[in-house]
Formats: sequence, C-alpha cells, structure tokens
Amino acid sequence: MKDGIANNSTASISQARKAVEQLKMEACMDRIKVSKAAADLMAYCEAHIREDPLIVPVPASENPFREKKFFCTIL
Amino acid sequence: MCVCVCVCVCVCVCVCVCVCVCVCVCVHFYLNCNNMKYMRSPPTPEMATQEVPLNETLAHLKTESETLKSKLEEERAKLHDVELHQVAEKVEGLGQFVMKTRRTLKGHGNKVLCMDWCKDKRRIVSSSQDGKVIVWDAFTTNKEHAVTMPCTWVMACAYAPSGCAVACGGLDNKCSVYPLSLDKNENLAAKKKSVAMHTNYLSACSFTNSDMQILTSSGDGTCALWDVESGQLLQSFHGHAADVLCLDLAPSETGNTFVSGGCDKKANVWDMRSGQCIQSFETHESDINSVRYYPSGDAFASGSDDATCRLYDLRADREVAIYSKDSIIFGVSSVDFSLSGRLLFGGYNDYTINVWDVLKGTRVSILFGHENRVSTLRVSPDGTAFCTGSWDHTLRIWA
Repeated sequence: MKDGIANNSTASISQARKAVEQLKMEACMDRIKVSKAAADLMAYCEAHIREDPLIVPVPASENPFREKKFFCTIL
Repeated sequence: MCVCVCVCVCVCVCVCVCVCVCVCVCVHFYLNCNNMKYMRSPPTPEMATQEVPLNETLAHLKTESETLKSKLEEERAKLHDVELHQVAEKVEGLGQFVMKTRRTLKGHGNKVLCMDWCKDKRRIVSSSQDGKVIVWDAFTTNKEHAVTMPCTWVMACAYAPSGCAVACGGLDNKCSVYPLSLDKNENLAAKKKSVAMHTNYLSACSFTNSDMQILTSSGDGTCALWDVESGQLLQSFHGHAADVLCLDLAPSETGNTFVSGGCDKKANVWDMRSGQCIQSFETHESDINSVRYYPSGDAFASGSDDATCRLYDLRADREVAIYSKDSIIFGVSSVDFSLSGRLLFGGYNDYTINVWDVLKGTRVSILFGHENRVSTLRVSPDGTAFCTGSWDHTLRIWA
C-alpha cells in the first residue's frame, strides 16, 4: 500500500512538472496588443467583405442555392 | 481479508449402526491482512523521511504553477488596452439579412450528428445516430452514396480534399476511410480502411491538406495524426484533462497548427509537427463543443454548453469577444464563420441558429426551421450557403 501511495505521488509530481514546463513555455510567448489584433481582424473583414456571398448577395443566377426553381413557392 | 472455509463431512455406515463424523476445517487466507502487517518490520526512519520530500516537491510545484498562471494573466492583461467591439464602432453596420432554408435533405432515419462539405461546393457528407453515412448532392438533394457503419452514433465525418473519399467514426473508437466510387452499385463498405484507433469514442476527424493524413480527436482525451495509407500514428497530442470534442485545422496559409476544444473547458492550440501545445485558453464555463478558425488564421471561435460563443485572438493570446445574450440559455453545438469572417453562425440546442456580427459583438439574425437541436453547422467552401444538421433527422441548406 505504501508503494501505491509513492507511485501516485510520483505520477502527480510528473504531471505537475509537465504543467509547470507548459506554463513556462506559454509565458515566454510574444504577444501583441489587443488594439493591433483587433485592427488586423477588421482589416481582413474589410478586405474580403465584398467577396462574401452571404453579406453582399450575388445575383440569384450566380448563386446555385438561390436560383429560382421551376415551381411556385407558397407564401 | 479472512476467508473461512468450513467443511462438514457426514458418513453413514451399515444398516443398524449409523456413524456420523463431522469434520470442520477452517482455513484462513490473509491477503494484505492485519497479520501480514504485524509480520512486516515497522517503517524505518528513512522511509518516513522519503515521503516528506515528495510532498514538499509536489506542494512546491503547485505553488510554482500558480505563480506562473497569475504571471501569465498579468502579461495578457497588460496588452488588453481596448475591446474589439470598441475598435469596431467605426465599422459600417450590416444590413438586414434574408436567409432562408433553400434545400432540405431528408433521408436519415435518426439524429444527424455531423456533416462536411466537399471542396466542389456542392457535395455533402453527413452521418447520423443510426450508423448511416450519406453523401448528398446539395444542388439537387439527391443521395449519391450511402454506407452503413457497424456502429451507431457516428459522431464524426469528413470529406477528403480530393472529393474521392470520406472518413467517419464514432462509438466504434475508430476512424475509417471509404473511397467513393463512381459506380453506384459498388458496395462501399467492402473497400473500407480502418485508419485511427482510440481507446474511447471518436468525436471529430478532419483530413489535412491531402487525402494522406487524418487528424482525429477522441473521448479518451487525446488528438492524433494518422497516415491514411498505412494506418500509422504519426503524432499524438496529450494535454486535455477530459474528452476532446472538436478540432479545426488552421487555414493552409498559416502553417501547421490546429485547435481543439474539450470537456475540460479548455481550447488548446497545437503544433502538428512537434505535438506540443503552444497556447491554451480557459475562459468558457462549460464543455467546448465546437472550435473554428477565423479565415485569416489569426483567431478562432468556440461554442460551448455555457450558451456563449467566444473569439480568441492567437497573437494577442486572449479572448477578445463574447457572443451571448441573456435570452440565450441553451448550449451551442457548432460554429462557423462566413467567408470574410464578419459573420459567425452558431447552431444551438434550442433548435435555432444565431448569426453574430463578429466585430461588433451583436446578433444580426436568428433563424428558425429545425424541429430539434442543431447538432452541426458548416459554411460551404465558397461561402454561398451554409448547411445545418439536426436531431430532427434532416439537413438544411441556408442562403
């Protein structure tokens, strides 16, 4: 039973060591400011928004899902 | 633990004379019993002191981990100079949205659990609880192929980049690849190839940039990268403390990383080559059911059972937006971005789809139609439509 306890401790110690190593690695990361990150996200949106068929609808003839079918729809 | 065995033996001899003989035999078996303890020598002073350093080391490591965590939070907070929606105030608002169900795909006999688009922007593969995997033509709603898996609850399915194969798996703990043939009469199940083996259910799978490699996530808490041809495990990713429910690969321009979300409320970003977890985010209050990269690859969104969707920026290393409303109390099962990244679609357990303005953080539309919870949602590769799968046995294409 004592061996069992020792094994559990070594397992939790190695787990704790791994967690500490992981945190040390994450702490060393180069981060940018949220304002810069937000600006980049916005720039990407602006650049691609015109190509987005769900925001700027393309004519129905070009969107295969929106094109009219041959029967009437019930309103 | 003592085990007593009593044996009584009766013997009768002769017609007139009966002789009974009872024999009781008690046998005691001790397994780790008191007697054994007394027989062992009492703990030596060395053994007693050995335990103390172990406990000290553990406590020491725990405090170090706590200090590092708070230092990490401090570093992240230093760069939190503004909120995304504040920066986005100057952006034009979006107009009114008219999105309707354009196609309904009926044919599954039970809850639809997962779906994926083919790169040809027209075919869809979907899987359901009854073990069926169906390939549809979304333009015509025709079924092109159907496979019956040997297990129920096929929770993951994916289309190969070439469009020539599909991968699926679930409670069988495996991910199998089925090459699709043009011959409709061919039995697809015969050509099945088992690629991945996990020790618990398969929750998600995705081909990498080619048909040759598959990334899987499982209820066993790990993700893994497999070679399709040989079935060999190329890399495994350990770090989640509970079931991993979802994964998404970074858009090809941004390199070899992927993000995974799990029941431990964490979203982890991994390096595919080294197997290392490079970033970890833990702000959700419940299981993360879905993760999806922003089209530029610099951020990702997540949907969780805590009824919120959140946006995490990878370069700022923090959560930058929460998409939630007091009136939304049901969990999010799946999320995806529109082509430009301006819209975030969320499929919810209250049968609706909420459409969010990613930059401003507001809801732009709510879509009704499904008659049970929405379990899966994907935008088509060219962004012209998105498809949802639901527990009401149907898939719907919205545009």
